[in-house]
Amino acid sequence: MIKFENVSFNYENGPDILKNINFTLAPGSYHFLSGPSGSGKTSLMSLLYLGHRPTSGRITMLSQDTKHMTREDFFSLRQKIGVVFQNYRLLNHLTAFDNVALPLRIQNKPEREIKSNVSELLDWVGLGDAQNSLPPTLSGGQQQRIAIARAVITRPKLLLADEPTGNLDSEMGYRLMRLFEQLNKMGTTTVIATHNQDIMERYKHSKLLLDNGSIYSNSKKDLLIKTIRDVY
Amino acid sequence: MSSIKRKNFKLGLDLFIKIIDIRFENMRSGYDLPLEKSPDTKFLLILVTLMVFLAVLSLSGSLALHDMSERWSSGLENKVTIEIPIETKDGHLLSQDTVKRETERLQIKLENHPFVKSAEILEDKDMGKLLDPWIGQDLLFSEVPLPGLIALEIKENAPTTLDDFRIDLAEMSSYANLEDHQEWLSELIRFAGILQSLSLIISVIIIGTTITAIIAAVRARMAIHKKEIELLHLIGAPDIYIAKQFRRHMSIIAFKGAILGTFLGLVSVFILMIFSQLIDSPLIPSLEISFISFLMILAFPLFFPAITSVTAYQTVLRSLKDML
Repeated sequence: MIKFENVSFNYENGPDILKNINFTLAPGSYHFLSGPSGSGKTSLMSLLYLGHRPTSGRITMLSQDTKHMTREDFFSLRQKIGVVFQNYRLLNHLTAFDNVALPLRIQNKPEREIKSNVSELLDWVGLGDAQNSLPPTLSGGQQQRIAIARAVITRPKLLLADEPTGNLDSEMGYRLMRLFEQLNKMGTTTVIATHNQDIMERYKHSKLLLDNGSIYSNSKKDLLIKTIRDVY
Repeated sequence: MSSIKRKNFKLGLDLFIKIIDIRFENMRSGYDLPLEKSPDTKFLLILVTLMVFLAVLSLSGSLALHDMSERWSSGLENKVTIEIPIETKDGHLLSQDTVKRETERLQIKLENHPFVKSAEILEDKDMGKLLDPWIGQDLLFSEVPLPGLIALEIKENAPTTLDDFRIDLAEMSSYANLEDHQEWLSELIRFAGILQSLSLIISVIIIGTTITAIIAAVRARMAIHKKEIELLHLIGAPDIYIAKQFRRHMSIIAFKGAILGTFLGLVSVFILMIFSQLIDSPLIPSLEISFISFLMILAFPLFFPAITSVTAYQTVLRSLKDML
């Protein structure tokens, strides 16, 4: 379970990017996170993958209260979270294979297991021939697929993806969305930050709307609150 | 019986191969961080090489001085010298013949003393060698009055003490003086000890400088690769995982530097040893290093990577504490 209680966040005493956020994500649930540019999607994702601590409020991640976690707890919790960063954040000196293998190596998996799992996944995302290529020699779409493969290779309990289909053609985009669906069916809680209306309409999942640092779900009550706020 | 032994051996061998196999399977080359591409790697290698080179010279000096002091002490152990001076205590000069006669008479008496193992008169030729560094080889013994010298070797389990022997000596000859070398030997050994301490202080400074350089290099690398380290943290890499990568990288540089520095240092020491043996002067002792001292120097290629390993590891762990 993931729970945000009265969470606010700002960067170095600047204005609040996220204001008094409250929501709960049930284990194995699937959500789309959308909102206009600058609404705080990336900041919210960063709190979800424990890249930052909230300025105030309480975050419970995978049933662990992050306020009372030790440094070691943070690392072991992060190993259960797969993240597709908006700018991919690949290590440019490592091959596609080594980038995808990174989370498994951090978890000290045997090299034999790493070889078979990574090769299989890279084949699946259409990068079987580019295993030994360095990210700078690949296209944006290929780099994005490496980032996605790295996020899902460990079958995480929570998958966070920031615009995961932004640089992909529609066929590959839908293919990867099916991969996320499959992972979700296996119990992975999934949060996809996207602007892509087609994808949100095609896959009928819960929608979280971020607007001006506040969050609204697609429930009628929340939408009414948002409309009233927009008017006044 | 032998078939059981063969079977056990085969099982053991299989297990060993399996362990090695697993070990190698889990090994891989390269790092998750681009440490090998750091611009100052060559500089660090040269620095470690120079530091180890200096440490080899410094430690060799210290060990050689230690060995030399030991040789001096053990060389003069159970040995004293008796002098028949050319001048009596009340200022009268003795003739060369008197000195010679008195020396020979005393030597015969000494040989029969229970304290003495052997008593040998130092011939003019031997004294000439001793005086050679100060007054040259052109000494005419007939023109320069020289004292009579008797080199005594004391029995290991002598029934009397040196103080008792002094009393006996005074009875045997009113002219004789006993020189047990302790005064100048202790001065010499003290001087050697000071030089030895200085060498050790220099060694400590060298090690301290190396540690400081390693800390600076690790911090510089951490600053350069901050984004990559952050990413590893976000994927769930604990501090230890990152610290191990730095430790391995820095230890390899230190190992290469230590091998090179030790080799260059030993070559220099051997050249110095050969030169010191070519100089035929009793004032300049030959430089010698014992086998144990040599082994201590050979441990440098392990010692320097070891301190580098600990330094790099601890530096990374301390610096990472400030990162989320």
